[in-house]
Amino acid sequence: MTLVAGVDIGSTTAKCALIEDGRIVGKSLAPVGVELVKDAERALEQALAEARRDRGEVRVVTGTGYGRFKVTFGQFTVTEIGCHAKGAHFLFPGTRLVLDIGGQDTKAIKVDPNGEVVDFAMNDKCAAGTGRFLDVCAGALGYDVSEIGALSLGARHPVKVTNTCTVFAESEVTSYVARGKDPKDILAGLYGGIVSRSLSLMQRVGVEPEVTFTGGVSKNEGMVRTLERRLALRVNVSPLSQYVGAVGAALYGLERPTGAPA
Amino acid sequence: MGDTGTEPRFLTTARDRQREMVEEYYAGLAGAGGPKKPVAYMLVGGNLTEIVRSFGYEVVFPEIVALNCAIKHVSLPNILHAESQGYGLDVCGYVKNDLGLQELGGETPFGRIPPPDLLVCSFSGCYVYVKWWEALAEKYGCPLFMLDVPYLRDATPQPEDIQYIVTQLHELIALLEKATGRAFDPAELRATLARSRRAEEGWVDYLASGRRRPSPIEAYFEAVFYMFPINVLRGTEVAADFYATVNAEVDERVRSGMYPVPDEKFRLVVEGVPPYPSYRTFWDFFRKWGAVSVAATYPKVGGLFDRGFLHDPARPFESIAEYSLGAYVNQSWPLRRTLIEEYVRDFGADAVLIHGIKSCRSFTAGQGDLRDRLIHDLGIPTLYIESDHEDPRYFAPAQIKNRMDAFFESLDRRKGTTPLPMVSG
Repeated sequence: MTLVAGVDIGSTTAKCALIEDGRIVGKSLAPVGVELVKDAERALEQALAEARRDRGEVRVVTGTGYGRFKVTFGQFTVTEIGCHAKGAHFLFPGTRLVLDIGGQDTKAIKVDPNGEVVDFAMNDKCAAGTGRFLDVCAGALGYDVSEIGALSLGARHPVKVTNTCTVFAESEVTSYVARGKDPKDILAGLYGGIVSRSLSLMQRVGVEPEVTFTGGVSKNEGMVRTLERRLALRVNVSPLSQYVGAVGAALYGLERPTGAPA
Repeated sequence: MGDTGTEPRFLTTARDRQREMVEEYYAGLAGAGGPKKPVAYMLVGGNLTEIVRSFGYEVVFPEIVALNCAIKHVSLPNILHAESQGYGLDVCGYVKNDLGLQELGGETPFGRIPPPDLLVCSFSGCYVYVKWWEALAEKYGCPLFMLDVPYLRDATPQPEDIQYIVTQLHELIALLEKATGRAFDPAELRATLARSRRAEEGWVDYLASGRRRPSPIEAYFEAVFYMFPINVLRGTEVAADFYATVNAEVDERVRSGMYPVPDEKFRLVVEGVPPYPSYRTFWDFFRKWGAVSVAATYPKVGGLFDRGFLHDPARPFESIAEYSLGAYVNQSWPLRRTLIEEYVRDFGADAVLIHGIKSCRSFTAGQGDLRDRLIHDLGIPTLYIESDHEDPRYFAPAQIKNRMDAFFESLDRRKGTTPLPMVSG
């Protein structure tokens, strides 16, 4: 009975997963502010509260994500690339390719049958095609990002969103709205643009089934369907897809002698 | 503490000497220590320094001035000035640093760079470079000599290509005789080449020591410092002597068991020009993981001496031609790829790291294919990252560090050592 925690401090949210005996027993998710150490603490405390466990029971805490070095109460850090690979393999053992679209970056990660990273490619210094991009474009359409997931499914004439820069795309969406285009068609165009960008990264490392889609953007049904159509593959999406990095981090902690970090 | 992270004095002798040589060189350019010599500007790749020096010229390499500006964090004002003159964002950072610096008067923290009396475009493989030299010729109204070096397509240079370059070398000599009023002295050229040869052999010995385990050298970050004499001062006595100092220090490192990376964990081959504006930050990303470069292509941009392209006083013109043809930047991609594969094999490397340059398509184009070939065809773990050699605006430390951390993590797990890093920045 070893309880381990993974804390994933991303660009927009902090996630925590608690694992015991191969089961996820607790989790939490909350937006991050500027005090990342406190955000990390809070993420762990909320996950513990959900699991009705005490802090003292946690044997190893592993930090991941861009803010991993702010998980100062943890014992180890692992990049989110390794953690998404391990977490995706845990949830879907047949995973060979992970597409993770988070708040500000997109990663394509090729994994071996054991869930180890073989190769990866990431977007380069630009948030176009990420969760932030969807936030901005949803706002330009007058929606909250949580409302736009299934909207595009009824699109009949998807527009072409030619620009993949977040700032310019917002102007482009505004222009389509002004021309009276159906929001469904605009969203379908946006998803098509994001998937094209993601495919470029995926093809760089090699597309091979099974493909597992993780990160906040994988909660968007329209994105999932667009990706599946372009790949001509069914894509794994877990209800826990936002927690995959935290799950992977927790699993890394299990590989260490408990309570005796290297 | 020395650059290699080691304390003892004897381990920084060569680096201290290199610093002195750089200072003396730039002080000399600024006019210290005697009457001013005429100045020739030249490019590093396959350069003709021996011929030009034999006519009494001092040689300035604007690429090296540019990298010195970048490493001292003064390249951006020059680049911004060049951009204000109309040079675009995608124009080579070396070019913009130099043209901006020229317009701003040539003052640098390491001395004033004198204007050219002669321009020798010794590498015409990059079209932007050709235009750079033309812009300088227009600004200063000085003679411009373009050396047309055919791309090296086969491992052994073709006799026709050698002869083509030799013909041009004689044209250069005629120009130098006219410009200086001095007659060409074959004996002086042979003597200069003999000194070059001695430096080249010492440099090759230094580079070969990366084969040892652990490596007593850092074949990228440290070798970049030791490139200065082989590129800038080649043909001089001080350059020839310098590599004896370097190799004595390497021997001492082996004897005393003190290495640039004390607990060598990963042996890398590195391809690409360094991000000079963030040189030490980038180097730290390697050291943190116990990664040492055991071989690298970039320190060979001036010449692939370790592949046999050495100057030969007995065949002065032919060996200069062969050397120019064989410069790394002049080699075709299949040859560059083969060289990297051989380095991985011969130096027992675990992986390849490629650093691409945003503003240099000439050097960088093809690196994506190289990455694919190494990973997919040969199974060699390879990381491609990108910033710039001159422009600090392109270096995103958090993103580069994240990619490198992920890469080393995966290498670590492949090797089965799996010590997760502790929580630290």
